[in-house]
Amino acid sequence: MNDSHPLSAAIIAGKRKEVPELVQACISAGESAQFIVENHLVPAMAIVGEKFKNNEIFVPEMLIAARAMKEALKILEPMLVEAGVVAEFNAVIGTVEGDLHDIGKNLVAMMWKGANIDVIDLGVNVPPAKFVEAIREHNAKLVGLSALLTTTMPAMRETVKAIREAGLTPKIMIGGAPITSEYANEIGADGYASDAGSAVDAAMALLKS
Amino acid sequence: MDRQYYLNHAAGGLKMPIGTHLVLHEHADHASIPDDGRRLGGVIEEAARRFRCPMALPLMDLKLEKEALLLARGIAAAEIDSFHFDETPADDWEVPLTRKMDAVCEAIHYIATETDLLPVGMGIGPFSLMTKLISDPITPVFLASDGATADDEEEVGLVERLLELSSKTIRLYLNAQIQAGAKAIILCEPAANKVYFSPNQLEESYDVFDRYVMKLNHEIREQLRAADVDLIFHDCGELTDGMVSRYAALDPAMISLGCSRQLWEDAALIPKSTVLYGNLPTKQFYSDELVSVAKVRELSNQLLERMRDVGHPFILGSECDVLSVPGYEQTIKAKVDEFLKDG
Repeated sequence: MNDSHPLSAAIIAGKRKEVPELVQACISAGESAQFIVENHLVPAMAIVGEKFKNNEIFVPEMLIAARAMKEALKILEPMLVEAGVVAEFNAVIGTVEGDLHDIGKNLVAMMWKGANIDVIDLGVNVPPAKFVEAIREHNAKLVGLSALLTTTMPAMRETVKAIREAGLTPKIMIGGAPITSEYANEIGADGYASDAGSAVDAAMALLKS
Repeated sequence: MDRQYYLNHAAGGLKMPIGTHLVLHEHADHASIPDDGRRLGGVIEEAARRFRCPMALPLMDLKLEKEALLLARGIAAAEIDSFHFDETPADDWEVPLTRKMDAVCEAIHYIATETDLLPVGMGIGPFSLMTKLISDPITPVFLASDGATADDEEEVGLVERLLELSSKTIRLYLNAQIQAGAKAIILCEPAANKVYFSPNQLEESYDVFDRYVMKLNHEIREQLRAADVDLIFHDCGELTDGMVSRYAALDPAMISLGCSRQLWEDAALIPKSTVLYGNLPTKQFYSDELVSVAKVRELSNQLLERMRDVGHPFILGSECDVLSVPGYEQTIKAKVDEFLKDG
């Protein structure tokens, strides 16, 4: 993976204020928005994910890197829209009903965005019907359900049930502190990720299966 | 209070869960009980009797202080859970106790005046309350640890102001519980952990941890000390040794840590005047795959043996409150019963 490009390095280090200038330099050098995303942003966030998995960096550093990535996307997203470039995959994500915790959900959303997945973040305390509505509206290929509390895990089961009963077939991934792969199997989810670092690989495996 | 109380119970082999949530949810009208102080007191007593615990441990509801602070600010009740400040509030405002807070105080009064149990109150820690008041508390904490001040980054100023407001609200509520008869307070700082404070930055300096977490908790410690009320400090987050050492410096009567910590190793960081409490993985008790009844017995025996080996006062218990999970009540109760048994 390439972290030697100045833009990638700035994102990995979370140097938000340096990012706009570095993006402009790439554009001035003739790189397209899609090229910048695929060759500088995605590899940078992949490195961030690897460092997180290896305990070289922690949640705060991931958030700082994401903040830097957002600075780049602020400039690049309008250009992508104008050029008609769409992400290969899209996803809906949210914390299930009754649960207000968003750190894990935000980290996964950020890592998915960093992997060039178009992410629709529904926020926290999301009722099953809202997931169903968003999946339908965006024709989402992937759904992420997050819960931190053991008391709100049953809402995951309800959400999976509601999605399937609505006849929708996105891949459903779940995660959160009390969640296990056994629980994912038990409630009919397609996958599970133990942390944000592994959420990209798990999502890609599901989307490409 | 006499600290020997806790040491004697530890020496006597007391085992106890923080189990009020579990017992509360056995009641059909569990949602309305926290609004009724007398009934809440009854449930707290019921939990203590059930688990043969001499301390009347309260319901762990760490949303009360946010609700009080925001209701007083004029935020609609329906918006409180999701409300976050995006601008620094310059003004101060009076924070009256909410109905639920009054009920907690009434419950404490009931325990103090009508039972032989130790009345115990509870509050969230200032840092943890602050994290509930802002959409992203992690980034400003990181920036502050990187040297940014309120003048450099507006969100650092917001965090620092919200810490002030949090501390004020918590101290007001703790004072009401003390007036109601609480003899010990469980102070919960679960957000002061490695998610909010980068271990990489902590290797360089604990300055921001000391300013944002410890300073305000020491002020609360002094408030309790002045009222002759004991501190039971709780943090079930993932912690560094430096964090545990700092918590020990609060001189709590008991310290309760999450299952990511090896208590027999932490014993070296904590004076023997502080009872170590915990730390069975009760958040996973719902799952037989993760923690079977046999595993609970094995972990209990291991903890008891290792703590005996290091000679530190210890009470076997849960890593946090034992939550009642719909559909999993029986397996959770079976595991609580298992660790309360004599090994």
